[in-house]
Amino acid sequence: MEERGAGGFRKDTVDRLLRLHFRDARTRVNADAQLLMAELLKVFVREAAARAARQAQAEDLEKVDTEQLEKVLPQLLLDF
Amino acid sequence: EAGVSPPALPRSPQRLKAAVHYTVGCLCREVEEDKDVQFSKQSIAAIAEITFRQCGTAGLPGECFLVLCRHAKRTTVTTEDVKLLARRSNSLLKYITQKSEELASSNTEKKKKKSSAAKGERTEDQEADVTENEDSNMA
Repeated sequence: MEERGAGGFRKDTVDRLLRLHFRDARTRVNADAQLLMAELLKVFVREAAARAARQAQAEDLEKVDTEQLEKVLPQLLLDF
Repeated sequence: EAGVSPPALPRSPQRLKAAVHYTVGCLCREVEEDKDVQFSKQSIAAIAEITFRQCGTAGLPGECFLVLCRHAKRTTVTTEDVKLLARRSNSLLKYITQKSEELASSNTEKKKKKSSAAKGERTEDQEADVTENEDSNMA
């Protein structure tokens, strides 16, 4: 698995993101878990974008704005 | 909050946010081409913000990881923990499990090469230095 695929999160960015929120500084994330997490985040972003795009199309809009995102967000967060 | 982050963190939250924003922008551009739509700057920024928060206590891993690790008496988050995050959606879980297996098999490949070099060491030729044994190092 590449460290950064075509449009993907960098392994170390993911690591720092996670550790930013760990109050216990001893908790670490192993390399594979970082890569897997990067995949998960990539899927999340793509899903958010795709659902918002679909919403815009349903509303006959060419541009996706925060309104469309707001509409699809609740279900997205539940599904994830 | 700038400049108040603990010394252990190599990057400020702001720079991390910028990194996330960048990648989110890339991914959105892919979707733009895919679906023939356009994303407003605000919507991209919003997705980036949400993604950033998903890594925190309210979102995907956050405290969950800590709880999982402590329960298993570990301090290191593993791929098994990450897989648990994907359990709400069958297709997502399947996808992530597949990726995890790809990772594992590529790791095994690397280990095979390492261990066949090590086995070369343990034969009669007790060499002081670690050298690659070309004979046994075949995939």
